[in-house]
Amino acid sequence: MIELDHRTMEMLEEVRALGREHIRPMGLEADRTASPPPVDHPFYLICTRQGGLVSGMIGAEDGPTSLDWKPVRNFLIGEETAYWDRGVALSLPGPGLGGPALRNTATPEQRARFLSIFEDHSRARWGAMAMTEPGAGSDVARIATRARKDGDEWVLSGQKMFCSNSARADWVVVWATVDPALGRGGHRAFVVERGTPGFEIIKVEHKMGSRGYETASFALDDVRLPADNLLGGESFYESRKGFKASMATFNMTRPLHTAHGVGMGRAAHDFALDFVRSDYPAQGRRRQRALERLARIRRRLHTARLMYLQAVWLAKTGQSNALEASYAKMYSPPIVLEAVVAALDILGEAGVRNDRMLEKLYRDAKILDIGEGTQQVQRVVVARQLFDFPRDA
Amino acid sequence: MRDFALTAEVQELCVAADRLGRTELAPAVRDHEEAGAWPPAVTAVLDGFPLGGLDLPERLGGVDAGCLTKVAVLETLALHDAAGLAAADRTGPTVGALLACPDRGLATEVAASLLAGTASAAFTVPDAELGTTELFWGPSQPALRWIWTCAGSELGLLEVTGPVHAAKVLAFQASGGVSVPFASTTERGRWDIGARAALAVRGRARLWAAAIAVGVAEAALQETLQYTTDRVVFGKPVAHHQGNAFDLAFAASRVHASRLVVRDAAASFDRDEPDAGFWATQAWLETMENAFLVTDTGIQLLGGHGFIVDHLAEKRFRECRHLAMLAGALDAAEADVAAVVLDVPDALLAGLEQQR
Repeated sequence: MIELDHRTMEMLEEVRALGREHIRPMGLEADRTASPPPVDHPFYLICTRQGGLVSGMIGAEDGPTSLDWKPVRNFLIGEETAYWDRGVALSLPGPGLGGPALRNTATPEQRARFLSIFEDHSRARWGAMAMTEPGAGSDVARIATRARKDGDEWVLSGQKMFCSNSARADWVVVWATVDPALGRGGHRAFVVERGTPGFEIIKVEHKMGSRGYETASFALDDVRLPADNLLGGESFYESRKGFKASMATFNMTRPLHTAHGVGMGRAAHDFALDFVRSDYPAQGRRRQRALERLARIRRRLHTARLMYLQAVWLAKTGQSNALEASYAKMYSPPIVLEAVVAALDILGEAGVRNDRMLEKLYRDAKILDIGEGTQQVQRVVVARQLFDFPRDA
Repeated sequence: MRDFALTAEVQELCVAADRLGRTELAPAVRDHEEAGAWPPAVTAVLDGFPLGGLDLPERLGGVDAGCLTKVAVLETLALHDAAGLAAADRTGPTVGALLACPDRGLATEVAASLLAGTASAAFTVPDAELGTTELFWGPSQPALRWIWTCAGSELGLLEVTGPVHAAKVLAFQASGGVSVPFASTTERGRWDIGARAALAVRGRARLWAAAIAVGVAEAALQETLQYTTDRVVFGKPVAHHQGNAFDLAFAASRVHASRLVVRDAAASFDRDEPDAGFWATQAWLETMENAFLVTDTGIQLLGGHGFIVDHLAEKRFRECRHLAMLAGALDAAEADVAAVVLDVPDALLAGLEQQR
């Protein structure tokens, strides 16, 4: 039920050309060397100079601080970028997951302050968002990073992990608690800028796949922040606003995750489809089996795409999408893995070879079922909304 | 950019269908099965919609409200009782055949008899390898007169002129049910309409079943939620045990997925997209897989209660399998989509595909 306008098609064509020329080769190289592209990679500068992966992605009339974002278009671009390499897609300069957090929580002044840095096109810049901690992954309500007020300043102490692009970010949105006893009511979001004393990268993780972007852990050792770095200001956090804001962020990132998955699944499908066309016999049982598996992949990826587009459309039209975002996130990862496995089977023994790319996709895809809330977390989220599944069950 | 919302008109129709279903169908589901029909008053209301003519063009006596409207209304009615829909929806799975029939006069004659409520029609996909020689099941309220066949690139129309047999079948008893040997029919036409058009005919029939399956699955989900939140085991409601809660959440996600994919395929028919038959067949495959899962979960979580007729879980379970055995059953559908999968472009990115 979605039709693409001319401008969106133009943008997708642009991404396709960039993907073929830059993104996939960068992803393969990052996988081979087990390290993401360096911050001064020429492609990052290309993106920076044109104000995004695709020129005009943020219109001049919108400005980088605008809330008039075009999520359906941007999510389709996300899908297409992940088609070429999801890791590199996540490594692209820009506010990253910090963007939705700013959109959901920040004051207009804060949006201007933290997003305007992306108007400087002289070098690539990144933003990031940190929620996960060594002792709080799926259960984000248990974050232990402390925030205490000291005069006009906030002081943060704790540790964050699995934070994308944080080692190269100009700022990181950090979720902390003013009092663990308050539960979700104690949550606050702060912007910690690069170079702030006490902010220290501890480790960049070595991963099985998705090596095109860095995943880092960092420490916050009595990091002192001006009061203005509390996103939304103190009045924003009355009742459960803070926690709800973080959850609202997930309601957009979960469909994006699904979009990435559809892109990766399509990449596997297309690889296998080309192989069937070029290498399979024109008839026979094995060909029939391969075609049926390809058709199944097509069906399930199409369904997953509809699910993320509908979740995004709900958000765009101001409707609640928490349930639908989790539905999409629940549906997509297993079928993406199924798509990659089917493609590997279609290639046969040749599938294990690294130069065929599919073995990389197999390693890359598993993170989709973990990041942004595992399959199990999604089921808890859905169950709570469907029938008031108790929190202590 | 289109959106996912139904128009106000379609929503109004669904509200009316929901009211009818709640008040006239749901309270007497087992009675309808026993009687082999929905009450005449209900079918009279549906004829007034007209349910059978919703997605037929005016030239065939319909109101041209579109396929999306039809699937939304079918889903709504099936939520309350699906068992009579094969008869009460006068055109049912045969709309694609009526639209594709090259003999306009004959199609008009058939459509008129259906919408007037003087004849029923069935749709089947004969299996050449198995040598199908009969229609195994068709509605019989009113008497079955027309049988559309569609295999390969061929569309055929048979008129029942000889004896038929009452058929005891898995579900949909409220639509009546007969088997018809092809020897009891007279061929009224046979046309080679091309592979793509034939797939559209079969896809339209499958989408009809898929729409009903969405309603059946939603009903199963709602009833399971009701039961599992009421009934206490090991000190808490069945649904509050995490293993069961996860199954329920998973089932809900699959009903949602099915609804989206069915409506998307219906919209592709309304836009006259060339591969609508492919996507409709895909939608049916998706929906049936999901409906099996949801209705099976329903019975499983009801335990022994799911297996007895005091609850409707067993009815939903039977209905989904019955729907999966229409239009050539699932294997034929899988063969259909596999046959063209190399040639059908991405539904959304078709314009880009050409440049790949």
